This record gives sequence, C-alpha cells and structure tokens, in this order.
Amino acid sequence: MTATEKKERKRESIMQASLQLFSLHGFHKTTIPDIAKKLGMSVGNLYNYFSSKDILAQEIIKYTSEVLGAKIREVNETDLSAQEKIRRIVEVYFVMSKEKPEMIEYFLRVYLSNREVFSEGCEGMTCVSGFITEIMIFFDDGVASGELRDQDFFSAFGLFMGYLGGMVFLKGEGVLPQEIEYYIDDISRNIYNALKA
Amino acid sequence: MEALKPRLLWLQSITCNGNTHSFLNHPDLFSILSHFELVYHPVLESSCMLHEVLARKAPCDILILEGAFSEQGMVKEGVEILDVALYYANVAEHIVTAGTCATFGGIFKGYDPDAISGFAFDEERQTARFERFSPKLISLPGCPIHPKWLSYVLMMIVQGRSIPLDAMCRPQELYNITVHTGCSRNEYFEWKVDTKGFGLKEGCLFYELGCQGPYTRGSCNKILWNDTSSKTVVGTPCFGCTEPTFPKAVLFETKTHMGIPASMPLGVPRRAYLTATGVAKSFKIKRFEERIITYED
Amino acid sequence: MKIEKLIEKIEGEASLDFSFEAGVVSDVRIRFGLYRGIEQILEKKAPRDALVITPRVCGICNHAHLMAAVKAIESGYRASGIDVTLSPKADAIREFTLACELIQNHVKWLYMTVIPHFESLTGKRSQENHALKASYISTTITKALAIFAGQWPHSSYAVPGGVTCDPTYVDVMQATALVEEAIRFFEQMMVGMPLEAYLGIDSVSQLHSIQGDVGRLMQRLGEAGMAEKGHSHDRFIVFGEGMGFVSGKATATTVSSVDVRYVEESNQEDSTAKAVSYKQKQFETGPLARAIIAKNPLIKSLHKRYKDSLLTRVFARTHEVGLLLHRAKEALVHLDVTQPSCMLESKLLSTDFEGVGTVEAARGSLIHRSVVKSGRIAHYDIIVPTQWNLSHGNASEKGVAVRAMIGSASIEEASFIFRSFDVCSVCTMQ
Repeated sequence: MTATEKKERKRESIMQASLQLFSLHGFHKTTIPDIAKKLGMSVGNLYNYFSSKDILAQEIIKYTSEVLGAKIREVNETDLSAQEKIRRIVEVYFVMSKEKPEMIEYFLRVYLSNREVFSEGCEGMTCVSGFITEIMIFFDDGVASGELRDQDFFSAFGLFMGYLGGMVFLKGEGVLPQEIEYYIDDISRNIYNALKA
Repeated sequence: MEALKPRLLWLQSITCNGNTHSFLNHPDLFSILSHFELVYHPVLESSCMLHEVLARKAPCDILILEGAFSEQGMVKEGVEILDVALYYANVAEHIVTAGTCATFGGIFKGYDPDAISGFAFDEERQTARFERFSPKLISLPGCPIHPKWLSYVLMMIVQGRSIPLDAMCRPQELYNITVHTGCSRNEYFEWKVDTKGFGLKEGCLFYELGCQGPYTRGSCNKILWNDTSSKTVVGTPCFGCTEPTFPKAVLFETKTHMGIPASMPLGVPRRAYLTATGVAKSFKIKRFEERIITYED
Repeated sequence: MKIEKLIEKIEGEASLDFSFEAGVVSDVRIRFGLYRGIEQILEKKAPRDALVITPRVCGICNHAHLMAAVKAIESGYRASGIDVTLSPKADAIREFTLACELIQNHVKWLYMTVIPHFESLTGKRSQENHALKASYISTTITKALAIFAGQWPHSSYAVPGGVTCDPTYVDVMQATALVEEAIRFFEQMMVGMPLEAYLGIDSVSQLHSIQGDVGRLMQRLGEAGMAEKGHSHDRFIVFGEGMGFVSGKATATTVSSVDVRYVEESNQEDSTAKAVSYKQKQFETGPLARAIIAKNPLIKSLHKRYKDSLLTRVFARTHEVGLLLHRAKEALVHLDVTQPSCMLESKLLSTDFEGVGTVEAARGSLIHRSVVKSGRIAHYDIIVPTQWNLSHGNASEKGVAVRAMIGSASIEEASFIFRSFDVCSVCTMQ
C-alpha cells in the first residue's frame, strides 16, 4: 500500500467513525476528541486529516452521497424499465437504511438539521451532487423512453426522495409496525403511479 | 506569363441563394476571386453562360455546389441539375458543398425527404456519391455558409495546402469547435444562469430558449458574422444550422426531461454535465443576477 | 414566331417564351423552376419555427420574410386577445434592419443587374468593376444590420413582442458610422451630391443635377428612349407600412386604402408560381408603387411626365436608397437603448390563431398568413412581390411585367425591361 492509499484509507475510517457518532449523538454533542478517542488516534493527528469539525461534516455528506449515488448508478446502467428501476432504487435506499443506518440517519439528522454547518462549502447541491446526478439521470432516461411524464424536476424529486426519507425517518422514530422491506412493493408502485406518463 | 488560375464553377440546385449572397458580403471578395477564373457564378459576371454550363461545355477545376439535390425533377433548360453536377464533379479536382442544403439536404429536404438530399450526404448518412467523390470533397455546412469559411477553403486550395478534414469532410479548423466557443454569454453558461427572456444581454439561452450552440459544430462565435456579431450575441438561440439534423422542430424552446436538457454539450457525458451543473447551480452569484449596465434615467 | 430564352442571374433563373407579331413582342410566358414547398414544410411545425424557416425562402430578402413571419404571429396573437405592443426601440430597430436589407438589395440590383445589362443592350461596355461597388456597400450596410440582427443573411432576431438583441450605445455608434459610410458612398458614387441636397430635389426639372452613377444611368436611359418603354397598367399597390411607406393602392391619380382580404392567389398553367391579383386586377408592387402611394414629390413629378416607364421604375428604386439611408440614420439618432427590447414572455402565448403579416420587401409587398391550430401550423401562405409583378395576368388583362414587355422590338430589350422589375426567381419558387 502506498502512502497515499494509506492516508485515504485513514480518512475513510475517520469518516466512518464520525458518521456513527454524529448519527448517534448528534452533530453538536459529538466532539473531535470523541472521534479521536473512538479511533485511538490523537486529536492533533486527526486535524491533519480534517481541519475542522465542519469540514469533516461536509466531507462525510459528500462521501455518503457518493456511496448512495454509486448504488443508484448501478441501477441506471441496467436495461430495466423505469418501473423496475424505481423498485430497485427504493430497495437500495431501504436496504442501506437498514445495513448502514448511519448513512441515511446522517443525511436526515445531521445534514438537513444543521444547515449552518453546511452553508459555506456545501451550498445547494454541491455536496450531494453524487446522489442528485444519478437521480437526474434516472428521470432523464425515464422521460426520454416515454415511461415517465415530463414535469418540473423538483416536483418529481420531492415526491420520490421526500417519500423515502419520510419512511426512513418514521423507521428511526420506531413507529413503523413492520420491517421497512415490507413497504418496498407498495411504495414503489405509488411512486411509479405518481411519475408515470 | 501569368500562371493558369484554377477555374471556379458555382452550380446551384435547390437553393435560396443564401450562400451566394453571404459570400458576396466578403469584405475581400474581389481579392479572393482574383486568384481564380470565374467560369460560372449565380450573380457575378463569369466567363460562361448558364446554357454552356448545362451543356457541359465549361471547364472546371473547383466545383462549388449550392442547394439540395433531387434524384429527379430539378431541371434547368430541360437538363437534370444532378447530372450536370455529377459531370463536373468528375472533372473537378475539388468539390465544395457550400451550405447545409448541398451538404446534408437542409431545409428543402423537408418537402420530399425521400427524394431530396445533400450531394454526398443525406442528413448524416453517406449517399452513393460519397464513395465516388469523397477524396476530393470538402463539406461546408451552414445555413448559410459564412463567407470566410469559403474563402479559407479556396485560399488553402490556391496555396496547395492540405485542409485537415473530419469524417464528414468538414474542415476541422472550422468545425471542430462549437458555436458555443467564444459566445459572449459563456459566463452565464458556466454558472447555469438562464436568461430571463428575449431581448436581454444577460443570461444563457441553452436552458429554456432552445440554443443549440453547445452541441453545434461551427465557428460562428470565433469568426463573427458580417465581421460583427452572431446569433447568440444578439440573444437569438443557435438553431444548429450547420448540423445534418437541421432544421429540428420547436426551435425556440429547449427540449428538456424534467428540466434536464435533452441534448448535452458536444462530447460531454451526461453524468459529467449534470454533476457540474448541480454544483454550479448551488451558488447564487450576484454579478450574474444583475444587469450588466445600469443607465441613468 | 416563338422564341424561348433563359434569363439567368436574377436570384435564380426564369424561362421566357416570347411571341412575336409584326416584329415586336406580342406576348410572353414566364416560367420558373422547381417548386420548393416551403409552405408545406411549415405545416405541423411550431408557429415560431416560421421565424427560422421562412427567411430561407430567399437569400437576398430573407430579412423581409422574417419580419412578415413575426408580424403574422403578432397579428394572430392580437386576434386572440393578447396585447402586443412594441417598444419604440424595438420598432425602430426592426425598421432599421429591414431598411438595411432594402438598401443592399437596391444597390446590388443597380450595379449587378441594371448597369451591366444596359451596357450590354447598348453595346457600350465600360471597364469598371460594378460588382465591386455593389459588394462594398452591401458588406457595409449588412454589417450595420448584423449589429442588431446577429447576421445577414438568415437572421431570426425578431420575435413576437420585439427583438432578441439588447444593444448598447457602443453598438449604436458602430451602426451609425456604418450608415454614414454608406451615405458617403451614395453621395460620392451614386448621385454626386450631399444626401441632404439630394433629398431636397422635388421635381423632374432638377433631375439633371443628379450626377454619379445614377445620374449617368438616367441620362443614358433617357437617350435610349427608356422613358417611353416598359409601360404597364400604371396601377400600384402597397400593403406594408413603416420606413416612410404607407399602404394603399393607386389607380390613375386616385390613392385609396387596401385590405389584404381582397388579395387572390390562383394557379397558373405551365408555371410553378401562383398568380396574384387584387379584386381581379393586376397591380405593380415595389419601390415605384411605394413612392407613388407615399406621394414622394420627385417620383410623382417623374411619373407625371413619364408614367410607369422603365426609366421611372428604375429611378424609383435607386431613389429609395437615398430615402432609406436617411430613415436609417434617423432611426439610430433617436434610439433609446434603455427601453425594453421585447415586451412579451418568451413562451408561445397562443396555440390557436390566424394571423397576417405584411411587410415591404425590396421588391414590394410581402404577405405571410399563418393558421395555427393546437400549437402547430395548420396552414401557411406566402405571397411574394414577384408574384404581383410577374404573373401572366388573367383573362381580361396581362400581367404587369408581361404588359411592360409587349411592344419591345427585341428579346434583349424585353429582357432588360423584365430585369427592371428586380425579379426574384427564388422567392417565387418558394
């Protein structure tokens, strides 16, 4: 392993650890020493990787957005119909909320709830473009193939992602009577019905 | 004794004369023409009459074709123009298809799409004539051509230089950039700032008003029109008139899919474009939201 | 006796079949080439695509087609209750650019058609490169046009509610300098006197004071008896307004109003061009018609003496260059760039309408009719000036140019009379 690769891997492990702590305790209650302690590294060394907690928070949102984007990209690159792709995207999102709950939790509870942290450096869609781009491509393909109705991007995006985010939020609050997979079929159908041409 | 000048024959088929008149506006027209013997031209005095040209009695080293071709029915004096064109195409050393009609079919193809095409191309497809004539073919699409595109080609021929061409025989020096290159609205494109409507010098025309500049090959914003301006500079969208697909439909609106432009800038992967767009759009830049000039009342 | 002749270099070509009786032309059949189907091409297109497609009817009067097309949409908008008001700025810019197109046309016609063919006719060829002059002024004035319209030929900068350009005073100053250069050309090469003095000439008795290429041409046309040739019905019609032109029709000395609804198109045997008449009567359109109906003193005076002769017709066109240069310069002097360029939203505002756009093109009145249903063009109709001047006429009377040629002693003379109408073959084969 080269020094660069080593450094990259360390960066990732810092982000992983912080992700868990931020999602669990919230952004403000988690301190840099907490993160350093969890990783068994010195606070000074941690600052070599991220110059501030805000920067760290921003890098994490970029990272999670890339991870989620990469999964949706796999769906986009299939020859499936838009209807089937919707199901796959819902699945990707819900499975991730289960297997890596910290990622989705981070988005909902840190990114969306602490806008002041992201106001400079993560303007608009700058830090979530990895994910947004893939959703755009999904919509674009769907309209181009005639399966989805042409409409304003945000009215479609809000319907799709607001819905999924809301479900994961309910799951996090512990109010869902069933496991989240239980809802995949119905939700996919609802989304498709709302977006189809 | 003066060296023999290349003999230039300008032959028209189904055309509006737009390329002829565009070329007449070349500021150095007669200096350029002084290098040639003008055998035939649609409006300028020339050494042959049209009936001599049609009777295949004219000499020809450089054949300029203007207008679209019909397999049958485009007749002058009882002679099929396509046959005349083929005769001189065989004789000539260079064939220049001047304009989109002669190159790809253009506007007039729309009347009878099965029968009308360009000389060597039918939209982007090669016609049977392509194989025969491609070694001496130079494509100059544009509706109309820019006068300096033609003078560039003619002077390169006079000087015996070889013109680097692309797969459709278009000069790379003219068509390997897009109309977007050099557009005065480039900053607005970079930052994805849409124009607020027609008649404003601010804002980009690509997002709403149908501008095809980012994916249209041509040097309209590098070699300005009438030495002065261009469509996009004066707030008119580029209609893609140099392309084999010209004219597309619904020209004053950008085709979008949920707000995403259906056509991407030339050679730019959609993913790359959308990533950059998402980022650029996330910033509100004051200078691009304001009028460039404020006039006192 | 019948003789067929191909007339070339007239914005395309036309075939004329001359009939001779008693040594003079007794009838002429005018045939144009392939019909290009622009009206059919427009069907099912978006209404505003006409702003891009119709200029391609003609390489020399493309700008007039753009103006007629935009006016047709605006008239259709108004008919469907939409308020279409242009700012004085947008109005002035449209007028300016159209005037520039007329100027380039007239000067090209003078130097590339009339003078060379008159020299051929009289066998007195000069060694001058007339086309160089034509190219110079055309290049200069279309540059001024392009400052606002982006390019010439084939601009589409006029849109419903105004223009797409948003000029600064930098642009206005450049355009002014170019117009002044064109004026200098007019003064020094064409008429040999200051424009202001030229425009002060109001009677045929002062015509001799005009010098330059126009003065020389007039003198020689007179010597060649061209004031007695080329007479037609002496009836004139104008539909467009602006640039100092007014609409109306003139028969004998009476000027009265016109209504596009009385314009009739009809197919002609053995020609791809449709004939056009007004209440079944043949009318001449173009600069002579415009000057008569706008009551231009000098042309009225010339007409009083020589009627609608070739000489009157030729002079009316060159005279219009002076009038238009003056208008063009004035339009820029008063241009206020702070006014809005376009007063309507950028989207299509009505999906069902019928509109008519009339405009004065270089060769006369140009009419576009657009019928739009469910957001698509259902029917498009273009009537070009050459149809007025060059039809064969009807059962009761010959067409305008045909009648003007009848009585000519030779094909060469008749062809020269034909060219004096500034024929546009490509427009006719729309």
